[in-house]
Amino acid sequence: MFEVMVGAKRRRLRLAFLYGVSILLVVFILFPFYWVFRSSLMGEEDLFSRPIVWLTRHPTLDNYRYVFTGEIPTSYQVKGLMRSRVSQETRYILGALKNSTVVAVSVTLVNLIFGTPAAYVFARMRFRGSLRVYQFILMSRLLPAVAIAIPYYLIIKWVGLLDTYLGLILVYSAITLPFSVWYLTLYFRSVPASMEEAGLVDGCTRLQALRFVLAPVAAPGITAAAAFAFMAVYNEFLFGLMLTQTIKSRTMPVLIAGISTNPDVSYALLCVCITLAIIPPVILALLLRQYITRGLLTTISK
Amino acid sequence: MSPVGVSGRGTLASSTPMISGRREKPFLLVVPTLGIVLCFTVFPIGYALVLSLRRFLLTQPWDTSFVGLRNYWEVITSDYFRASIASTFKFAALAVVCVLIYGGLVGLLLDARLWTSRLLQVLILLPWAIPPAIAGIMWKWIFHADYGAVNGFLVGLGLLKDYFPWLSTPSTARTCLVIAHVWKEGSLAAVLVLAGLQTIPRELRDAIFCDGGGPWTYFRHVVIPFLKPTLLVIAIYETMIAILTFDLVYVMTGGGPGNATALVSWYAYIESFRFLNFGHGAALSFTIAAVILVMILVYLRVLKTEEVY
Repeated sequence: MFEVMVGAKRRRLRLAFLYGVSILLVVFILFPFYWVFRSSLMGEEDLFSRPIVWLTRHPTLDNYRYVFTGEIPTSYQVKGLMRSRVSQETRYILGALKNSTVVAVSVTLVNLIFGTPAAYVFARMRFRGSLRVYQFILMSRLLPAVAIAIPYYLIIKWVGLLDTYLGLILVYSAITLPFSVWYLTLYFRSVPASMEEAGLVDGCTRLQALRFVLAPVAAPGITAAAAFAFMAVYNEFLFGLMLTQTIKSRTMPVLIAGISTNPDVSYALLCVCITLAIIPPVILALLLRQYITRGLLTTISK
Repeated sequence: MSPVGVSGRGTLASSTPMISGRREKPFLLVVPTLGIVLCFTVFPIGYALVLSLRRFLLTQPWDTSFVGLRNYWEVITSDYFRASIASTFKFAALAVVCVLIYGGLVGLLLDARLWTSRLLQVLILLPWAIPPAIAGIMWKWIFHADYGAVNGFLVGLGLLKDYFPWLSTPSTARTCLVIAHVWKEGSLAAVLVLAGLQTIPRELRDAIFCDGGGPWTYFRHVVIPFLKPTLLVIAIYETMIAILTFDLVYVMTGGGPGNATALVSWYAYIESFRFLNFGHGAALSFTIAAVILVMILVYLRVLKTEEVY
């Protein structure tokens, strides 16, 4: 809508304005990322100086080295009253990232292995009560997390799965499957059924038709569903907070939140953790941008 | 997980191609999914209902007598609940308005044919992609009282005399929360607005400009009516998201200062896990769920009548 307008001068002015606003927005979106990354490269004396140092003069990887090897950065060895504490919990970040990744990948697999055939059935076949079952699965998404958090905690505790991968995987599967099934059902329906019919006539079973005929065609939809499931689990906080107790299963957001709410936290090390933690979702989002944008549109409407 | 986005009009394919002569057991393919979902919906809801009608303090586990609706009554009449409703309402109102404005603005800029538009289309997904808890910590560090970027910037420019504790001042803590929330949630709104804008037929625009209308006329009489359903959907969806905000509160303010940012979800959490009163917590959760459910019904109604997309 912006490009048509009378008068070259007004036009130029308007363009300058639009570019101005756009650039401000780019800065607003990127600034938190920049700020965290910059802080992760700084020694404490730089980090805690006034006026604020916008670009560090002495970038250092010491903080990263500490998180990976436990070697205390030189800037922390300055003696005196102002000496800040080293947040030792930050060394657990690799474990937490492993936990998050294992759980998220497992849940994604559960979604693909169980969700895809279910979606296929809802898209193409019928059985007695199939509509009811479909609606039930969809309706279960209506429950706000806060409403089921307490019973989930008590149930998982009761069956002895607190602080285990399995407990997390079960709960996360239950909350991601409805979306995956719904999303894939819609996606499969947008693919003409005639393709698989040819396969079925040639004598393959339904599952084979799904696997060899439909799945390759619907690969973008399946990829998007997998990405959504992975990111939902990787980013989830509330259930992770309640269902994990030690670093044995503690997930990344829970660990980092725990570190950050400590008033004595060393921000440089915290920022190292954040930088490491957001690499996977950021890369996923950039790689799968097209699928995700399309998927987002389906999540809220339809 | 977000609570909405159900239905697909809740129907199944009307014409189902069935190849006869082969015995298929489609139900078996649905069983695992249905099983998991069943286990984690029906049972927990029933359990929570029982909890909410009983006395259930983790500090006094021996006494779990049936108390009827007393938990609900105690929760709803408590001062803390009233305060949390008030702050949730203020937070949600501000957050929804800001997300709408921000999403609308970004959406328009995404749609404009500028070289920054393509860049923005990529960047806008970054805040969406990262965990809300992490986003909250990033902003907490930016608003830090002693070494935060906001203080450094404002003091550096001479707009602010001295470093200010943004997050521990009741009047500014909520605004900080809203800024972080908009940064994170605005992405989805912007993508939706962009999609809405792309449905506007080009001829309409050309017609307006041929008739001598300017961009304002176009905006007022074409863009706004076209976007109305999208904006409505965003408004309702974002209201629910704002009411259920928990992660940001947990990492940024912990409900404080005082109880300035103690939203209802936070209240339900500390009632259960700090005060260890699971009966109260369950009653509170049910109350919140009921409110959200009503909103979802309204939402589905709107989707149906407005025929979005």
